[in-house]
Amino acid sequence: MSEAGPYRGPLEDIGGYRYRIPKSYKHGMRVDGIIYADAKLIEQIRHDSAPEQVANVACLPGIQRASFAMPDIHWGYGFPIGGVAATDPAQGGVISPGGVGYDINCGVRLIRSDLTLADVKDRVEALMTELFAHIPCGVGVGGPIKFAHQQMRKILSEGTRYMVQEGYGWSEDVDRTEAGGCLDGADPAACSKHAYDRGEDQVGTLGAGNHFLEMQVVDEIYDEAAAKAFGVAEGGVTFMIHCGSRGFGHQVCDDSLKTMRGAARKYGFDLPDEQLCCAPVESPEGRQYLAAMRAAANYAWANRQLLMVLVRKAVAGVFGRSAEQLGMHLVYDVAHNIAKMEPHTIDGRTVSVCVHRKGATRAFPAGHPEVPAVYRAVGQPVLIPGDMGRYSFLLAGMPAAMEETFGSVCHGAGRAMSRHEAGRRVRGEDVRRDLAAHGVFVLARSWKGLAEEYSGAYKDVADVVDVVDRAGLARKVCRLRPLGVIKG
Amino acid sequence: MGTFEVFDHTADVGLRVRGESLEDLLATAARATFDQMLEDWPAEVAVEEDVSAVPSEAIGPDLAEAFVDWLQELLYRFETARLVPLQYAFTAAGPAGIKARVGFGRFESGRHRTRLEVKAVTYHELDVHREPDGKWTARFILDV
Repeated sequence: MSEAGPYRGPLEDIGGYRYRIPKSYKHGMRVDGIIYADAKLIEQIRHDSAPEQVANVACLPGIQRASFAMPDIHWGYGFPIGGVAATDPAQGGVISPGGVGYDINCGVRLIRSDLTLADVKDRVEALMTELFAHIPCGVGVGGPIKFAHQQMRKILSEGTRYMVQEGYGWSEDVDRTEAGGCLDGADPAACSKHAYDRGEDQVGTLGAGNHFLEMQVVDEIYDEAAAKAFGVAEGGVTFMIHCGSRGFGHQVCDDSLKTMRGAARKYGFDLPDEQLCCAPVESPEGRQYLAAMRAAANYAWANRQLLMVLVRKAVAGVFGRSAEQLGMHLVYDVAHNIAKMEPHTIDGRTVSVCVHRKGATRAFPAGHPEVPAVYRAVGQPVLIPGDMGRYSFLLAGMPAAMEETFGSVCHGAGRAMSRHEAGRRVRGEDVRRDLAAHGVFVLARSWKGLAEEYSGAYKDVADVVDVVDRAGLARKVCRLRPLGVIKG
Repeated sequence: MGTFEVFDHTADVGLRVRGESLEDLLATAARATFDQMLEDWPAEVAVEEDVSAVPSEAIGPDLAEAFVDWLQELLYRFETARLVPLQYAFTAAGPAGIKARVGFGRFESGRHRTRLEVKAVTYHELDVHREPDGKWTARFILDV
């Protein structure tokens, strides 16, 4: 699949859907690598060099427990996509922009509604057309509001909280967003002019690539109690948004990589890949990156918040009822490209570690104080989007995730095929027609972009979530089948 | 006029670019990058601007960083001003930095069909070098 070729190193089956790369595999590994997979997925995972990247991440200074990878792992740049790494600043632990990625706080949010399949089944095309008209998406398309510099600074320091205060959304939205939609310690002054310029007209834009807006129907329930707590029921209609911090975050990452390439040399780190460049969390370069990355994370939450407001407005317009009357409550919003300082128990001690989730989702269990009170009895909602032809899943966090993966699980299906290969196999027009035949109405700005996102290019997300469910990291709550899709 | 080809990368796009000279390589790398983003190009130059990419002080002279920065500067102009690079007059090209007068066309949403959004040019397995025959080659991955 990739030029780097298949992985030929050790992958020991240690049971319980866990495969180990022992730290003896490679010089410089400080901990083992652990990949969560079953026999079928591990064969796919071997096909590219992602396991080698798991081993490379195990070399990072201060890494704790293990270098973890989820069943949707695939080859990234530096870090594998689907990787989790926590470092202890007190032990020289580092922070790496590569462990977050360019799309800082790329994430997913799910909105429930009182609408049922019966209400929407004859109006899918009208609804999606209305949404397509309201949701800015695609390459080179700006947002509905251009924010002035002072407003941008507020967005960067306060995220969702600022948006709600300005009238974009409901106060309950804040509680139903990971970290309350705002990471403390964000510094708007740590971000470059280029970042501001790129970000000022992109709040409330979907972008392109694998980002999407879907209208879905809940078609299978696995855990009635959790589904009830999350406000979803079989036959109910939901809306899912997948996107991140747009050009703002991309610029913050790019700016940081320049600094970090210098820092890695300054601190004498011998890294197997330039893209793994990093600095101690407790260093000027590390603190600068954390402050800018947090600002970009807050930008992403503001972006998804405004997108949700646009969705509520468009759907309300079609039905001639308010979003409140339609019960369009936010179920939850999760980040899956982020680094956060979190308290975790290591060898019986509570340690504040820097958890990198690169294509991995936070999944805190029942009882955790960061889980909103309304969900605390069942665990944090975990949103795992699949491909546009099949389904997505809603899960709930479980205790094993805290004990092992620093409260983290997978983030999606993971690609099984490169974009180039997908583009060779199918045409966007055919993808749209085939999906329509299966009851999924798609609107896209780009046929080529659509072809590259077709179902066959992805692993079956059901296989991925079954592994995290059986491994005890999270449990399945319900399945969401797409009715309509908007792609940039 | 240089050439380019796309190579497989699981989730992103890899590009292999060849040029007769370093300047030709830089122009071709820009064309290859924007070719991933656009299906239709503006027909004519609407505005000229100076574009400069100089490696950070922390790194010092570094052709790879100048190369990434050059493409990033062009992406920045696309995102902020919807400008598409069409013509290049280089005044400097090397590890110390890249400077050029660039002629841009204007992208019009709705008129020009698009394809992928390029988030960034990555350093992952980045390689820019001169071949024994004097021609230049670059290999890089776009995050899309």
